[in-house]
Amino acid sequence: MSEAALAAGIAPDRVLLPESAEEVQAVVLEAGEAGTRLLPAGRGTWLGAGGWGVDPGRGDPDGEGQPGGGGEPGSDGRPGGGTDSPRIVSTERLAAVHHYEPADLTLTAGAGIGLDHLARVLEPNGQWLPFDGPACDTGTLGAAVASGVSGPLSARYGATRDNVLGLEVVTGDGRILRIGGRVVKNVAGYDLVRLFTGSRGSLGVITRVSVRLFPRPESDVTLLFGGDAAGAVAAARRVCTHEVPVAAVEVIEGDEGGVGRAAAVAVRLLGGVDEVDESRARIVAAAGAEPSAALEGGESRAFHGRRIGWEAGAAVVARLAALPDRLAETLECARAVAALAGGATSADALQGVVRVKGSCPGGDLAALAEGLLRGRREMAAAGGTLTLSQAPAEVAARVGWTGGGGEEGGLTSRIKALFDPDSTLAPSCP
Amino acid sequence: MIPKALAVSLTGICGPDGVIADRDRLLVYESDALTAYRHRPGAVVLPRTTDEVRRAVQAITRHGLPIVPRGAGTGLSGGAVPLGGAVVIGTARMNRILSIDAANRRAVLQPGVINAELSAAAAAHGLYYAPDPSSQTACTIGGNVAENSGGPHCLKYGVTSRYVTGLTVVLADGSVVRLGGQGREAPGYDLVGLFVGSEGCFGIATEVEVGLLPVPEGVRTLLGIFDRIEDAGRAVSDIVSAGLLPAAMEIIDGPTIRAVEDSVFAAGYPTDAEAALVIEFDGLEAGLDAEAARAAEFCRRAGAREVRSAKDEEERLALWKGRKKAFGAMGRIAPDLLVQDATVPRTTLPAILKGISEIGKRYGLVVANVFHAGDGNLHPNILFDRRDEDELERVERASKEIMQICVDSGGTITGEHGVGLDKKHHMPLIYGEAELDTMWGIRRVFDPGDVLNPGKVLPEETDPAARAGWGDGAVGEDLAAAPAPA
Repeated sequence: MSEAALAAGIAPDRVLLPESAEEVQAVVLEAGEAGTRLLPAGRGTWLGAGGWGVDPGRGDPDGEGQPGGGGEPGSDGRPGGGTDSPRIVSTERLAAVHHYEPADLTLTAGAGIGLDHLARVLEPNGQWLPFDGPACDTGTLGAAVASGVSGPLSARYGATRDNVLGLEVVTGDGRILRIGGRVVKNVAGYDLVRLFTGSRGSLGVITRVSVRLFPRPESDVTLLFGGDAAGAVAAARRVCTHEVPVAAVEVIEGDEGGVGRAAAVAVRLLGGVDEVDESRARIVAAAGAEPSAALEGGESRAFHGRRIGWEAGAAVVARLAALPDRLAETLECARAVAALAGGATSADALQGVVRVKGSCPGGDLAALAEGLLRGRREMAAAGGTLTLSQAPAEVAARVGWTGGGGEEGGLTSRIKALFDPDSTLAPSCP
Repeated sequence: MIPKALAVSLTGICGPDGVIADRDRLLVYESDALTAYRHRPGAVVLPRTTDEVRRAVQAITRHGLPIVPRGAGTGLSGGAVPLGGAVVIGTARMNRILSIDAANRRAVLQPGVINAELSAAAAAHGLYYAPDPSSQTACTIGGNVAENSGGPHCLKYGVTSRYVTGLTVVLADGSVVRLGGQGREAPGYDLVGLFVGSEGCFGIATEVEVGLLPVPEGVRTLLGIFDRIEDAGRAVSDIVSAGLLPAAMEIIDGPTIRAVEDSVFAAGYPTDAEAALVIEFDGLEAGLDAEAARAAEFCRRAGAREVRSAKDEEERLALWKGRKKAFGAMGRIAPDLLVQDATVPRTTLPAILKGISEIGKRYGLVVANVFHAGDGNLHPNILFDRRDEDELERVERASKEIMQICVDSGGTITGEHGVGLDKKHHMPLIYGEAELDTMWGIRRVFDPGDVLNPGKVLPEETDPAARAGWGDGAVGEDLAAAPAPA
């Protein structure tokens, strides 16, 4: 955290590293009394997305730091720039595995455990936590839950929120809550676990997490089909609606597809050996062509690992989403943004989500902001969304992280007030 | 009964056939499927549209009466019991599937659509709706949303909340809000996830958007017969730890087998067995035989005396019959039935099953177990006759002990039936004051005036408002008069 904080231009004395939920509670209560703001974080490398207080242009967009997507920077009436920076409360030292019974396929750990470390804990038992949202390679478990952003595997394994069984949190007003549990089916009381999953550090600091695990599939194969951009989208959609269930379908434009074509469709097959072999044969038959490449086992895993960390280091990161059959339109909208940001797109065809990253090399930030706003209007007109999770400060200030809430009648602000009445933590979202 | 002026306004909103106010016809709305709790509603209204629900809510609250939303009344926790003369808003006439969007594998429906009817309609597109509560031919999607319902196949596919992607909700103040929708990427708090499982306390869902799945190409069903129930529990644990993920794993114990075989539902299970384990795999045809063979081997190694497999759909239905008809069959052998719903960590199943059996013996009670073994979701059924007061008392004590051993093992008090009226006093077994205070707080974010389904889920004595002396006690008094948990 300290290194990441330094990299993001944050003075180390502003970073707090509590070692227990009780210490987090003390930190939160003290901040409340002093009127200091606190930004919850894991390893602290996505602080830019916190909504205020930290220069959004500086951090690494790797999903850390419980990005606060919320509202306009400073929209809570407090300054949004770096002059009145909040303190950062990192859960990095809450990294112990508290309970792991492999035969139960459940695990409870401190929120600050790195997902890379967690993967090594699970590996010997042939198990995994299939979180493949942005930065779920090196980020912390708590940050993955707090950001709530899912990756391409969520069609097969469920979204992040479907696999979080229980949480321990310290609310913005300093209450320690233990919600949910560690069993896979639990309907006792209201589902506060889902409320906190994706709450982006705005309701409380997540200190402990119980998750559902899965057996590692016996076979892991990725088929890469190269083609032109339009052909790739059409091919991806055909796979999505094909009778053979697939684990993930991505459309990758440019060199990163690794097949020397304008675009690549990456079809991931997971399951037993017989099942994957059969799926492969039928997908290839449906495609009418052999794949440009087929990655197996470790190669397939490594390929997708790189997709998880795809946004790392980018100055601009956005996410466009609409219904999956609008993939071509969503992608077109994303390309327009990517062009202005000097970057690229990566599409999750099963979910209809397109990620955009850009380096913003000396670009026209005003034009980028306008492009993002235009993209958001276009997406909204089609019932979709454009959310920003990383951007230079002036772009973020102009565009806002989410574009505001829907028709939810003020529920969001009332929920925020219930958990964080003095707005000690990150702003509410949207 | 409700004031005449209210009856007139409700008739104006929902039409004369949309309001039930005469005493005899209100009888059916006194309870849900957990019939130990009965309270007559003030009236029942059956709106057809979101706007009618909105207007009905406003009319009822103007008269200061509480509201209880109700689907098909198949719930098993007393959640739809109208306390305090509440007016029931039933969704029976809101039963249209508004759209099936096959390209995006989703559907939008009114809350009164019956669970199995959605799958039947989606079948034309090769799709189905995954959560399959045992009551799926009767229960409604709106009820499933309220209870976050599960079912046998939730082992592989997850429960209701995984599939609900958007909601139109009428809140207690008559406002209409839209949560989520058009897939699952809505920014902001997961208000859809928060609403699902709120047991009618947060609002009335009047439109529900759900995700659908492609119908699996192949299915393999096995039936393991065991002489000891702990062995069946061990087989379940072994299968899961070996990395197999069956679509369903269900255990039917000896007393249940005998009840089923003595009934018209006889499924051909051996009556001297102490457990039958139904295991189902689904997916692509390729590989299913190998998975089934591995599971069968785990059963034999755990001590199964016999493993049957279904060769065709007819045989498959026969293997399932004993599971699906278990509740019906038990109804024949005892006048009353108390069904519990605790979930425990899967690895504790053998010990918990043994514990339940010992508790039953100690109190001289028949406890029959039928449950979702793969999820660790137990349904111990205690058979009794409520006219026998001594037995009734033993049932209460045994029931509490069973719940306690489940919680002590790291489990929870309800896996899929909900808290409702039946288990609200057990909430302090798993949550402390801070958590219960927060749940009261969230409830009042949605319903500041305690209009919707009051007296459910959270025990009154934990209400911070009541502790501060704000509660008016109206519903509480009514509750005190309610029959004790069976």
